[in-house]
Amino acid sequence: MTRLLLFFRLMVRPLFREPIRTATTVLAVALGVAVVIAIELAGDAAAGSFRSSVETLAGDSEIEVTATGGVPDDLVGKLATLPYPIRVRPRIEGFAVVTQTGESVPVIGLDLIAEAGDRMSRDWKLPDFADGSERGADLSSGVWVGRRLASKAGDQIKLQINDDTREYKVRGVLPSSAGDNAVLMDIAEAQQELSRTGRVDRILIRVPDQPSLEIWQQRLRQVLPDGVQVRPQGSGTEENRRMMAAFRWNLRILSYVALVVGAFLIYNTISVSVVRRRPEIGILRALGASRREVLAAFLCESILFGVVGALLALPLGRAMAVGAVNLLGTTVNSLYVSSQPGSINLNWRIIGLALMVGIGVAVLSAISPAREAAQVSPVEAMARGRREYILRVEKWRDLWIAVGLGIAGVAAAKIPAIDGKPLFGYLSAILFIGASALAMPALVEALLAAGTRVLTALLGVEALLASRSLKGSLRRTAVLVGALSTAVAMMTSVGIMVGSFRQTVVVWMNSQLPADIYLRPVGNPAIDRHPTISPDLADQIEKLPGVEAVDRFRSYDINYQNMPATLASAETETARYYHSSGFLSGKPDREVVAALRGGDNAIVSEPFANKHHVKAGDTLTLSLGERKVSFHVLDVFYDYASERGFVILDRDTMLKYLPDPAPTNLAVYLKPRANLAAVRREIERVSANRAVLIFSNRDIRAEAVRIFDQTFAITYALEAIAIIVAVMGVAGALLALVIDRRRELGLLRFLGAATAQIRKMILVEAGVLGLLANLAGLLLGFVLSLVLIYVINKQSFGWTIQFHWPVAVLLAALTIVYVATVLAGLYPARIATRLIPIEVVHEE
Amino acid sequence: MRNSLRCLIVCVLLLTGAGAQYQQAMPGYEYQFPRDHFSHPDYRTEWWYYTGNLKANDGRRFGFELTFFRQGVNRKPLQNVDWGVQDLYLAHFAVSDIGRQKFYYTERVNRAGPGIAGISRQQGRVWNGNWQAEWVNDGQQLQAIGKDFGLQLQLKSNKPPVIHGQNGVSQKGEGIGHASHYISFTRLITSGHIEIEGKSYEVKGTSWMDHEFSTESLAANEVGWDWLSIQLGDDTELMLYRLRRTDGSVDRYSSGTYIDGQGRGTHLSARDFSMLPLGETWRSTKSQARYPIAWRVNVPSIGLELQIHAAMQNQELAGKTRLSTSYWEGAIDVSGTRAHKPIAGDGYLEMTGYDKPLDFSGP
Repeated sequence: MTRLLLFFRLMVRPLFREPIRTATTVLAVALGVAVVIAIELAGDAAAGSFRSSVETLAGDSEIEVTATGGVPDDLVGKLATLPYPIRVRPRIEGFAVVTQTGESVPVIGLDLIAEAGDRMSRDWKLPDFADGSERGADLSSGVWVGRRLASKAGDQIKLQINDDTREYKVRGVLPSSAGDNAVLMDIAEAQQELSRTGRVDRILIRVPDQPSLEIWQQRLRQVLPDGVQVRPQGSGTEENRRMMAAFRWNLRILSYVALVVGAFLIYNTISVSVVRRRPEIGILRALGASRREVLAAFLCESILFGVVGALLALPLGRAMAVGAVNLLGTTVNSLYVSSQPGSINLNWRIIGLALMVGIGVAVLSAISPAREAAQVSPVEAMARGRREYILRVEKWRDLWIAVGLGIAGVAAAKIPAIDGKPLFGYLSAILFIGASALAMPALVEALLAAGTRVLTALLGVEALLASRSLKGSLRRTAVLVGALSTAVAMMTSVGIMVGSFRQTVVVWMNSQLPADIYLRPVGNPAIDRHPTISPDLADQIEKLPGVEAVDRFRSYDINYQNMPATLASAETETARYYHSSGFLSGKPDREVVAALRGGDNAIVSEPFANKHHVKAGDTLTLSLGERKVSFHVLDVFYDYASERGFVILDRDTMLKYLPDPAPTNLAVYLKPRANLAAVRREIERVSANRAVLIFSNRDIRAEAVRIFDQTFAITYALEAIAIIVAVMGVAGALLALVIDRRRELGLLRFLGAATAQIRKMILVEAGVLGLLANLAGLLLGFVLSLVLIYVINKQSFGWTIQFHWPVAVLLAALTIVYVATVLAGLYPARIATRLIPIEVVHEE
Repeated sequence: MRNSLRCLIVCVLLLTGAGAQYQQAMPGYEYQFPRDHFSHPDYRTEWWYYTGNLKANDGRRFGFELTFFRQGVNRKPLQNVDWGVQDLYLAHFAVSDIGRQKFYYTERVNRAGPGIAGISRQQGRVWNGNWQAEWVNDGQQLQAIGKDFGLQLQLKSNKPPVIHGQNGVSQKGEGIGHASHYISFTRLITSGHIEIEGKSYEVKGTSWMDHEFSTESLAANEVGWDWLSIQLGDDTELMLYRLRRTDGSVDRYSSGTYIDGQGRGTHLSARDFSMLPLGETWRSTKSQARYPIAWRVNVPSIGLELQIHAAMQNQELAGKTRLSTSYWEGAIDVSGTRAHKPIAGDGYLEMTGYDKPLDFSGP
């Protein structure tokens, strides 16, 4: 009871006496935690829904049979007649674009006749085809759709599948358990509409509980050709999740930045409150409170900050997650896998995470000031006249530790990834941030010492006072600069990384997009969808006057070593090359590509090579159709289009194993003096009845850059929040500074200082803080960007990025931060000018 | 006719009015074997129907039914060769574990697909998934695998196939073409294995096979039928069916066949026999249908007076989907006299149309 009272008197009451500072601290914690849970929620929503309706429609099967390019039809018959009590369900899986909305939706073809006898079909009222209302109609036309796409049977829906658009009759609306946007049709029609001639995409197999799943897989494997894969159902989804894990991990780390910035602020708040309550602490100690009790009281205060912050963070984080899901969805679609964002669910795991993170960060940042409070000796604290806080700043010791941490950071950057995660890369980044924080007092003092004269000369006596004040409370100044500079450093480092990446991609595109015109089917691009263009369209275009050659590019989704990847083929003899090499070996493109043509050779992209530890000269075994084929890896090429990785074959090699001639993309090369606009018009004419998009070389680059920027939008959003937290911290801290220095400010007024001068002084302090933070942040940011580009990115994604300063972006961002910091000084400055000198001095 | 009714329901609903494109079962049809053991895609409905009574070494008794249906739904050429639908393939599989009074049954429906179901003369095979009847040398092999029961049987006939009806057609109703071509193997010596819930039983016994194809066999005013196959101890067999009309009377196209020891069949018209329920019934809790499970059969021309009792009450195949109705088909015990001398045997009884009135308003 006494302890509770002690806690209340010492901790809770002062909090209410200083509502603004309390509020900013709590808000900083809340924002930091909100970002963390927003990213977590958004990640769950984005990742939780990979092909969700496709899997819902899978029913309860245990095993799936797949093959690159599809499983040959006759294997369905083979499996169905095996003497085992199993249920065999062939499926066609693809997607369509709803013409009206442009939305991409899954298309699933099932054997509706066989399903008619099943539980699943009864739940979905599938046998409606056997209802009186549909008398006279056969199965071979019409679709069943999710309720978002049509409201009732009998409606018409216009769908674009591959490059063909058609009206379909809605035969029924699926219950919501089947997902609200799926399109279901009979397998016969689906196979034709999606041009999967002679093949199905997946065969799901229901097996009895006994014997084990492994034995069932073995039994099935024995009767199937080598290249056909037999695995537990949903493995594809699992692979996608695994692939996404690294991405989510990196995003998660980034989301903790705002939290780190928040930690600085808690540290600052509690430090200040320790200082301000020294007399009270002294009294308590003199009255018999133990050191431990004082320590506990301050830690309890921090826990209070953590809990309140975390609770506030829940609604805030949920709101942020809505925005984040949209940003994430784009990234996931263009880099990983097509997905529909799921719903955002605030569950107990998230609430637990928020409390853990909130309390954790609060307690961690309060430990040091709380220990300091416990060290206060009764005599020292009760001695009058020591109003100003003189904190022991052991800047030299700290500087040496900083140097040590920096060296450790460099060392950590050299250690390879563990399990695909750049753990030591992050450690390295943390070490550098720590080093920067510890070096801050020395740096700030040195810079202030050097700058005071210049400032005074430029801005007069107010600047001198401001500078002295900052230097006088070195520890607090250092913490503030540390917080803000960490935020600035994060912004700078991510800015440099993304800018470098973007520049690298632009340069790479210049050499990798040599054709004049590109075509692909209409629809949002997604890395794992490969809609095709009718082969005859390619032939027609090839015959147009002005066209020299057409490169038919074909891609398939494959899985290699239980990770998804893209297998593609190009018509290598038509491609045109630039002099720069796109290969790691530095060999001329022409030479590598000529070698690719001869036999079972392949080239792989850099992310693929990194992920699977493949290098030139290795052998790569891929399942193609029903066969297993070994390819000789000729070289590794730079590629920034996909994190999943590419394996590229010559078109003839691909057709040998997967004989579907339909291309997924066309690259059209014009004759030397052909008119681009005229040829484009001709291509538009021959493809008029096809749903294809036509891009000129310039269009496609712009499109690529647009997708790139969309992909990284989420990182910018995260940084912006970190900056907001930091600037808020500056405002709160300056306010604290003003309140602490009431006496001093009052004295200044008493001695004749004008309100304008006081305001100027405070604003100069804010300006100096901002400047110091920008300088320190830029320096730290540069170091961190090196870690990001050469360690973290390389280890988790495998891209080679050329370093590049995005000067304009950085200048703009730093200016914004600087202006925001100065503006943050306005309110404290106003408070300072409103102090009534007599009253303040009277307090003495 | 057997379960064609069930097929017909599907047929009625799915059909594109293409009946005219199918051939009628007409008198004077010239049978040719083995050709006529296999598919007749020109006729809309066709089935291969195996039933039998078997005994395990330890005396435990089993009945089985394995049937393959082909139902034509579309005569147009297919756009999608592998998956397009011209015929529906339905199949029923049931085992009566008479010793334990347990009835197992399951059904499936498929399209031909890429080898999923079909009839191939070349391969000598009628199959639906992993259920099949295969002609091997001069016999047939049956295989069927269900979730917790299955069978592998070898069937061998000592008698030639019997052609039912008159002049090659088994008339089912008023008017030309309302008939089927109907062939039976009436005494198939059977041996093999039956598996029930993980246990395998070696079994021996006698089976019966029907093969029937038609396009429009039934008349509109029938509610159902009762069909009997009887294998008597003196190496003779009897097949009878009774068509029940909506007004409760028995249709005059009810008929049957008596097969003597040499395999010669004698046609029995409705006037030649009587087949009446004895009053004992069994009510299904699944379909609520009440089935007469004891019968009296008289065939005066050959001096037969028989009493028939279900070997087990519950042998109902309750319809699992909207595509199928419920019917009772099961093993029976036969006893009675022939020319006043005691005679016994067993066989199979089928009763349909007891659960609900069936919709015949088809093409």
